[in-house]
Amino acid sequence: MSALPKSVSGFTVIPVAYARSTHILYARAHASPKSKSNSGANLNTGVNTGANTGASAKSKPLPDGRTLFLVNVPPDATEREIVLFFKHCGTVERVVFDLDDVDVGSDVDGNASGKSDGEEGGEDGEDGMDETADVDADADADQHQPNQQPPKKRRKPTQATTQPTPPKLVPLPSAPLRTLRKTGLSAHLVFLDAASLSRALAPAPKPRPWPASEEPRGLAHYAALHDARRPPLDAVKAHADSAVALFEFEVEAARRQGQGAHRRGEAVVDADGFTLVARGGAYGKALGGGVGIASRRFELTGKTTAGRGRKKEAKEKEAFYAFQKAEKQRKAIMDLKKGFEADKARIEKMREARRFKPY
Amino acid sequence: MALNLKRKREKAAAASNKKRHHSLTHLGSEDASPIDASHPSEEETPDDNSSAGEEGAEEIPVGDNAHESHGADHKSKKPPTGEELRVIKDAAELYRSGSFKLQIDALLPHVRPKESRKPPLDRFLHSLHAFLVSLPSLPAQNPIVAAQNLAKQGVAVPYALPLPTRESKWRVEFEKPSDVTIVGTWANQLSVKQKDGVQFGVDVAIEMPSTLFQEKDYLDGRFFHKRSFYLATIAAAISTSMSTDVFYDAAQGDPRLSVLVLRPRNDGSQNDFSKLHAEVRIIPTLPPSSPIPLHRLSPAHSNVRLSAEAGRQQAATPLYNSTILLSTFPKSELLFTHQLKESSPAFRDAHTLLRVWAHQRGYGGGSNICVRGFEGKGSWWSSLLGLLVTGEESSQANGKKASQRRPLGRGLSSYQLFRAALDFLGNPPAKHNFADNAVFVKATNGHRFPPEEYAAHHPAVFVDPTSTVNLLAGVPLSSLESLMHDARKTLEQLNGSSANEDVFAEVFLKDQCHLSTRFDAVIRVDLSRTSPSLSALAVMDHGSFDSALLSEVSAILRRGLGDRTQAITILHPSSAVRAISETQPGRLSRIHIGLNYNPEHAFRLVDHGPSAEEQQSEEATRFRELWGEKAELRRFKDGRILESVVWEVKTSDERAHIPATIVRHLLHRHFGIAADDIQTLQTPFDALLRLPDDVVQLHQNSGSLGGFKAAISAFDDVVKKLKALDDQLPLALLNISPVSEYLRYTSAYSPLPIPTSTALAVPESLRYLPAIEIILEFEKSSKWPDDLHAIQKIKLAFFESIATALMASSPGIKASVVVGDLRTSGVQDQAGLEIVTSQGWAFLARIWHDREATLLDRIINSNKNPLRPVLSDTSFGKERREANEARDLYTRRFIHAPRHHRAVANLCHHFSAYSGAVRLVKRWLASHWLLQGHVSEEAVEILCAKFFVGTSGIGASSTENAPTVPKSKERAFALVVEFLKDWKWEEPLFVPLYESSDGSSIPEVHALGSKQGVWTISTAEDKGGRMWTSSGPDAVAAQRVRSLARAAWNIMQKTDAEYYDVKGLFNPLDDYHILIELDPSVLPRYYHCFNANPRIWSRSGDASGRRDGSPFRIGFDPAKLFIEDLERTFAETLKFFYDPYGGDRIGAVWLPAVDKARPFRALGGFSSIPLPTEKSKDKALVTLNKQSILDEIERMGAGLVVKITTRQQ
Repeated sequence: MSALPKSVSGFTVIPVAYARSTHILYARAHASPKSKSNSGANLNTGVNTGANTGASAKSKPLPDGRTLFLVNVPPDATEREIVLFFKHCGTVERVVFDLDDVDVGSDVDGNASGKSDGEEGGEDGEDGMDETADVDADADADQHQPNQQPPKKRRKPTQATTQPTPPKLVPLPSAPLRTLRKTGLSAHLVFLDAASLSRALAPAPKPRPWPASEEPRGLAHYAALHDARRPPLDAVKAHADSAVALFEFEVEAARRQGQGAHRRGEAVVDADGFTLVARGGAYGKALGGGVGIASRRFELTGKTTAGRGRKKEAKEKEAFYAFQKAEKQRKAIMDLKKGFEADKARIEKMREARRFKPY
Repeated sequence: MALNLKRKREKAAAASNKKRHHSLTHLGSEDASPIDASHPSEEETPDDNSSAGEEGAEEIPVGDNAHESHGADHKSKKPPTGEELRVIKDAAELYRSGSFKLQIDALLPHVRPKESRKPPLDRFLHSLHAFLVSLPSLPAQNPIVAAQNLAKQGVAVPYALPLPTRESKWRVEFEKPSDVTIVGTWANQLSVKQKDGVQFGVDVAIEMPSTLFQEKDYLDGRFFHKRSFYLATIAAAISTSMSTDVFYDAAQGDPRLSVLVLRPRNDGSQNDFSKLHAEVRIIPTLPPSSPIPLHRLSPAHSNVRLSAEAGRQQAATPLYNSTILLSTFPKSELLFTHQLKESSPAFRDAHTLLRVWAHQRGYGGGSNICVRGFEGKGSWWSSLLGLLVTGEESSQANGKKASQRRPLGRGLSSYQLFRAALDFLGNPPAKHNFADNAVFVKATNGHRFPPEEYAAHHPAVFVDPTSTVNLLAGVPLSSLESLMHDARKTLEQLNGSSANEDVFAEVFLKDQCHLSTRFDAVIRVDLSRTSPSLSALAVMDHGSFDSALLSEVSAILRRGLGDRTQAITILHPSSAVRAISETQPGRLSRIHIGLNYNPEHAFRLVDHGPSAEEQQSEEATRFRELWGEKAELRRFKDGRILESVVWEVKTSDERAHIPATIVRHLLHRHFGIAADDIQTLQTPFDALLRLPDDVVQLHQNSGSLGGFKAAISAFDDVVKKLKALDDQLPLALLNISPVSEYLRYTSAYSPLPIPTSTALAVPESLRYLPAIEIILEFEKSSKWPDDLHAIQKIKLAFFESIATALMASSPGIKASVVVGDLRTSGVQDQAGLEIVTSQGWAFLARIWHDREATLLDRIINSNKNPLRPVLSDTSFGKERREANEARDLYTRRFIHAPRHHRAVANLCHHFSAYSGAVRLVKRWLASHWLLQGHVSEEAVEILCAKFFVGTSGIGASSTENAPTVPKSKERAFALVVEFLKDWKWEEPLFVPLYESSDGSSIPEVHALGSKQGVWTISTAEDKGGRMWTSSGPDAVAAQRVRSLARAAWNIMQKTDAEYYDVKGLFNPLDDYHILIELDPSVLPRYYHCFNANPRIWSRSGDASGRRDGSPFRIGFDPAKLFIEDLERTFAETLKFFYDPYGGDRIGAVWLPAVDKARPFRALGGFSSIPLPTEKSKDKALVTLNKQSILDEIERMGAGLVVKITTRQQ
């Protein structure tokens, strides 16, 4: 263990003492790339933040200078445990687990997944810490992403509108549960100040034990999970009712605002003056109504008709001339021969494989 | 157009000479059919042949032809010559198919002796002939004295029963043979290779001079004694003066049929024919001029005088008589067969095919295990074909039959002749039955003996074309029935198979002797400790004690089992050669009895006998004699009073044992064979699917009754209650479909309810109560929201209202909403309603809403939409991925699962053995840690169905009566194992699981193995064949399945020693890199575990107060949850194996991809540790941090994991 290098490819190696072994954390100061282009393919773009998606984001969710990029976080790590582990360096503002159940190959930015993690956590009863920490970042991002995937819409009106207040979503009762992630994943740590970051990056003298937060592990975890998935009926009712109410409110709000371009309202015209149309209704419809498009087939193939029904009539009759008949018969014989030859070749192959020795 | 026409004609013409061109156009213009039968013969002239040769020479100039655009591939474009055409057409029409003919042609040389190896044999035969005719005479002497003299030379005389005595008046003597001829199959070039390395037999008939015999020699085995002495003298002479090894051999262990076997010594001499794989068999024969009167040997004559019964009219000795007649037979048979071969060109090939077919099924000597009665019956097969070709001799016995068997033509092809033979054998019993109909091959001189005598004294009659002997003498009827059964089976395969199945291999190439796949029940009987009393006359007639015993066994079993079986097969090892110093052939120590059930009657509980009025009749006496104390008078519900035998069973398992029980009872009663000496494998197999007795006891104490029937009635009950809620539900409930293996008889263990009231008293390790999945379908409504997330929430609301209403209407029921795994995306169906009935059954209901599919498809297909507003690709990719997952789940759960359930439940009703087979296979895969994690249970169900539905699906041609369908779960299990051991999973498998209107339409399936799953099992409803195998087994697991199947197969083939240990098939291996041991006392499912330790629950049962804190959780299986987490977390590091049925160990192997040092990457996807650095490197290397991963596993499984052990690779 003493032979451990201090750093690897620019990452500081932080040993963690396990019961019988040493786990390795790799840490580096987080730096958001300057380029605006979303170069997600790069390996280190796990670091890419929401800054370049919402190009006009005002506050960086992962501020340079005091964000630590951690690799190889233990799969069962909770936020609390990470905070405890880095407590000696300074106060941790928040932890963002990257790439939560997102495959590496797809274009992903840290903020989006971190955010969705926070949201899901709010629903499934993961402890609310990162949710609360995430709220302001969330709010900013959401304003600029009206067309984001549906889960955001549920929350969006809470901050984005000055319209009638939406019904509040009653969450299902939650218990503190661990989320198990894939092994070898990364996380971002935002410290309160830059000094903590440099302390954290200082080579560790010796492995420190991994702290344990109070969320249950193992058997107790599964028992708690089993119970948590069966909430009391009234809680389910309250949650479902509020969720449906919220959904209806959103639909209503979107219709009224005309912004929910996907559903109802006026036609959406983009910057170049084109009317956006999409599939829907009997003939397709413009987003928000207006011009219709022909059909799903048109949407997919660009053709208006399938040429259904009428087959092209053969121009020549098939057995009109004697030579055609002769050709046809010749072809039949040739096919026969070809089939026979193919069979022969197949059997020959089997014979070579000594398939014909019965015993 | 005209120009075009001309050019084409020129093309055709350019390819061939003028004559060919002419014939081609001629062909075309005359008839619409491209091939006309009249043409080939017309063209079959030498002229045509020579012109074909010229074409070959002309080829190059043709290629240069400017008109010929095709150039290089010209040759294959050439139309076939007339000769070729005829061959192709014949292959397709006279054989099953063109490729079948080619396969036959490829097979034949492999089973015939090689011509090139024959010269040494010929030289040897010449020298043998010279040696035999130069043998000196021996003076007449007393048989015992003669034997003693020979014994001094180390040669025993194989005297048969009744043994000669010192007081015998007659004398044995020796003179050189009057004739030496090569006879039998070798002389006619009909030899067919036998199994297990048995050599070709070259039969040499030596004619004993008629001067050796007297008129009365047909009495009391005197002929056989003289024959034995003659043979022994020759044996002594050859063994001393020729360089070959000499043995005795006696077919079926009958010393009267002793022959001398000469085997070459592999000394490389001129006469050494060992490379031919042949042996010379010397058969003494009786000359036609002998003084023994043949009319004394008709079946009705009694020729063995037993001293005790002297003077009384004795029972006939048909077998004895026919054995003497056999000695006159070889030469006349040779002539007849030769004639047949000459007259019917395909006879030789057909004979070879028939013999290969028979050998593969154990009919004939030479295999390690063969069917009783067919050893040494070589001439029967050729006579059988002779019968088909020449027809039947009319007889008074069946003279009233209007339709005689018509002779088939001599011009049939070999395949047609073979087919005809199978047809003859396999015809349904109504049309043809060996027991009732005597068969007489058309003979030139009419009947030698009255046909009635045959029918009266032989069970089965097939008299040869010379009308000398009954070739089926001594063949038990049961063996003939199993031959008919096999013929039917083959006919079914030939008729019903589709193109993609390799019928040829199935019929000719595959060894069909495996007991476990061939018989529904295999009963192994140890004869070494028995000595039943048999009548002396029977022993004399049969020639040996074993023959008499087996024929009696066969007759008794046949009577006792009656219509319960389609065939009873008695198998034993074929006789082996013995040294010439041994007098008697060895006794049989062991036989196997194979039963093929008749599913309608096999498991009948009562056997009816004659009615009470006929108490004194012979029939009633026979009935009581057969069954012994089991037979009793009973009054039945319809008022009849009958003699009857009742088989009492306690469980359905035992009901499946009834046929075996009958065999056991009869063998014990009639032959005094102890119960220990009669073994079957059914009981250990049953035990695998039963819960341990004390567990059942514990549950029965709590008053719960398990079983599939109970589960189904509980389900019906819940359905009724849900439907009764009608007006309280937001939408009307249309349909409730079951989708659980517990409701289709295919879960490995039968379901067991746990009433909530007593649940807490049940020990922790017995508490597993599975939630049985059902699917609710509501009426369509436009009020559903058009948003996937909202739909899931609406479902929650639905569940809540159902739960409330249900609990209010039926007090015993508890219902709760399961919100599902919220880590998955919100678009996926996940919520369910858990319903627990008062008897303790748990159900999990889900709601099927078909709009989901449309919405998901819209998301999935949206990328094809060029007009779609540009979404940020980030969230868009994720959304689509989630939608894909949700769509897969939706299709599997709501579309395929209910359909699959219906089909499987249907199969269970059609085929009684199907459910047991599925359960055994599941148990087997699970105990090797492959089920669920790698092989899905549905895939197992489809795989097992393959052996029941055949190739055309149920309802069409295959019924349960079909011989190919297994009727016991043990046989089906063996079939699945056999299939898995050889399955090349690159080839897709099609199983006609669903009843389809036409069975012929088998979809074109392409095997699309993926990284996650390599099996392709398609059905009519799932053309792609990936529905149940998309997530496994992958190549590693599939390979493991295959090697496990091989190991199991090898164990199952052991027939010789003790029966194998069934549990041994199910013992898990632990050759994994990592073994994670779990604490069994906290696993609620531990009692399902193979080899579970009952102390675990009895202990925790005592201490149940200790764990009072843990409430009863429905469907709680922490081991499974743990495994799922491990699989997700370490998906790219480790591969896990575990037994889903309460396994207390988890095995894992490191994936090879991560197991070496590599440069550091931030998103490597595995836990790494830097390697100790060397100097001056730009790339830092890291490697897998194995120990820390193990520590993480241990931490994740706190409370579950007891120990983790690793194995060095």
